[in-house]
Amino acid sequence: MNRRLPAAVALVLMLALAALVALAPEHLSPIAQERAAAGPAALPPFGADGRGRPLLEYAAQGASVVALPALVAGLVVAAASIFGGVVRAMGLERLDPVISAASEVVGALPRMVVILVVALVLPREWRGLMPLALTWALLSAPGAMDEAAAVAERLGGARFVEALRAHGYSGARIFLVHIVGYNLRPVLVRQGAEVMSQVVFLEIGLSYLAASRQDPSFTHPDSLMSWADILYLGYTALAFREPYDHAAILGLGLLLLVSGFASAIGRAARAR
Amino acid sequence: MNRWWLRPLVRSAAALVLPVAVPFLCVLLLWALPGDPASIICPPETCSGTEELARRWNLDQGPTHYFLSWAGGVAQGEWGNSWRLMTGMGVRGLVEESVPNTLILLGLALIPVLVGSLLAALEVVGEKVDPALQLIGAVPGILLALIAAAWQTLTFGLDGEPTAGLLLGAAVLGLSDGVFSGAVIGTRSLFGGERRQRYVGVALLRGERIIENTLPNVAPAFIGQLRARTIQLLSGAVVIEVVLRIDGIGDLLWQATLVQDFGLVMPLVTAFSLISSALLLLQAVAEVGVALHVRRSPKLPGGAA
Repeated sequence: MNRRLPAAVALVLMLALAALVALAPEHLSPIAQERAAAGPAALPPFGADGRGRPLLEYAAQGASVVALPALVAGLVVAAASIFGGVVRAMGLERLDPVISAASEVVGALPRMVVILVVALVLPREWRGLMPLALTWALLSAPGAMDEAAAVAERLGGARFVEALRAHGYSGARIFLVHIVGYNLRPVLVRQGAEVMSQVVFLEIGLSYLAASRQDPSFTHPDSLMSWADILYLGYTALAFREPYDHAAILGLGLLLLVSGFASAIGRAARAR
Repeated sequence: MNRWWLRPLVRSAAALVLPVAVPFLCVLLLWALPGDPASIICPPETCSGTEELARRWNLDQGPTHYFLSWAGGVAQGEWGNSWRLMTGMGVRGLVEESVPNTLILLGLALIPVLVGSLLAALEVVGEKVDPALQLIGAVPGILLALIAAAWQTLTFGLDGEPTAGLLLGAAVLGLSDGVFSGAVIGTRSLFGGERRQRYVGVALLRGERIIENTLPNVAPAFIGQLRARTIQLLSGAVVIEVVLRIDGIGDLLWQATLVQDFGLVMPLVTAFSLISSALLLLQAVAEVGVALHVRRSPKLPGGAA
C-alpha cells in the first residue's frame, strides 16, 4: 500500500489548518450590514454572517480555539500508547493488572458525563478547552495503551527485546527505533490523530449545544467564535431557510477537513 | 484458566463500587480545586450570601460531611433539591421523569447495533461493505444530530414531536461516531478469527455446527464489545438529547452543568453510574454463565466424544 498519497493529503490538510490558525484575528471585523449574509461570491472566500462579518474569521478563530488543546490531547494519548507498549515489551507484568483495572474503571464511565462533571467543577477563570481536552485524553489513554500493549505482545514482548540485545543493539535503538518507531508507530499515530479529531468534535459539540441555547460556551471566551457558530448558522439555513447555505457548506467542509486529516495521517503511518 | 471467576468478580465489585465512588469523586474534585466550593459555585463578586448558601447546601463542613449527608438522604429516598436550574424543586421527580426517555433512546439505538452484529457474526455482511460502513461511522454525531434536528423542525415545527425525536435520535446515535460500523466490523473480525482456529476445522469434520463451537469462546469478548458500544451510546446520548430536545438525563445533565447546579448533577451522575453498573453486572453474569457452560462440557451431537 502506497503511503505517500495519504501522507501528502495529511500534510496539505495540516497546512490548511495551520494557515487558518495563523489567520485568526483577535476580534471579529466591525459589523457591516451592507454585507449581511453575503455569499462567497460577494465576500470571498466563505461569505459573511448576518452582520456582514466574514466567515473566514469565524473559521480562523475556531481553528485557533481547537488547535493547541487537540494537539496536546493527541500527544498525551500517543505518549500513553508508547508507555503501554514499552511496559509490555519490558515484561513488567506487575503493571498489567493496574493498567487493566484503570482501563476497566475508565471504560465503565460515559465520557461525555465525565467531561460535563469536569466542566461543572472548574472555576470560571479556568474554563477553556484545554482541561476538557486533557480529560478526554486521559479517558482515551487506557484503550490506546491496551492496543499498543497488544502490538508489543504480538511482537514477542520481552523476548523480542532480549533477541535484539543478543544482536548487540543498544537500549535506545531497541526501544526508540524498533519498538516505538517501527512497530508502535501506526498505533500511536492513529490513536493520537483520532483523539485530536475527537477533541475538535467535542469542542464543536459543546459549543453548539451552548450556542443553540444562547448560553456561554465552556470551551472558549465569548469574544471568540467557534466552528460550532458556523454550524449553527448552517442549521438555521436547513431548518428555517435562512440565507446561510454557504455557512452549512463551510461547516461541513471544516468537519471533513478534520476527519480527513485524522484518517490520512493514520493511513500514512500504517505499517508496511 | 483456573481463576476464570476472577474477572467477573472484579467486574461485580466495580459495579457495586461505581455508584458510590463516582459521586464521591465528584465531591472530592470540587473540594480539590483552589477556593472553597461555595465560592466556586457562587462567586462572592457576582453572587451575594455565599456563606448562607454554603450552610444551606451543606458545603461548610468538608467533603466527607457533604457526601455522607447527601448519601444518607439518597438512602432514605430524599435526593435533595435543585440548587439553580429549578430552584427548590425535588431532584427525584426530575430524574425519574428523565430516565425512561434515555433508556428508550438507548434501547432503540441498540437495535441497529445488535442487528448489524448478528448479521456480521453470521457472515451475512461481507468485507465489501466496510468502506461504506467506515464512511458512515466517520460522520460525527453532532453533524447528523444537527441535520436530524433541522428535518424535525421543518416537519413538525419548533416544538418537535417526542416520538419522532426519539426515533431520529436513536437512528443518529446508532449510526454515527463509528458505533454501527465498529459493531459490524468488530463482530465480524471476532467471529472470523475464531472460525479460523484449528479446533473449528476438527469440529466440522466431526459433523458439528461452527456456531456451537465458536460461540462459547467468543461470547465474553463479544459481550465486552457490546458493553463498550452501549457506554459509547450513553455518552453520545447527552449530545443527541440536547440537540433533538429529548427530555432525558443527558439533557438534564447538560442544563444542570450550564448553571452549575451541583445538587442536580450529583443524582444524575449517580444515575449514569447505576446504568454503567448494571451493564458491568450483566457482563459478569454472562461471563459466569459462559464459563459454567464450557465447564459442563455440553453433550456433543451424535454422541461424539
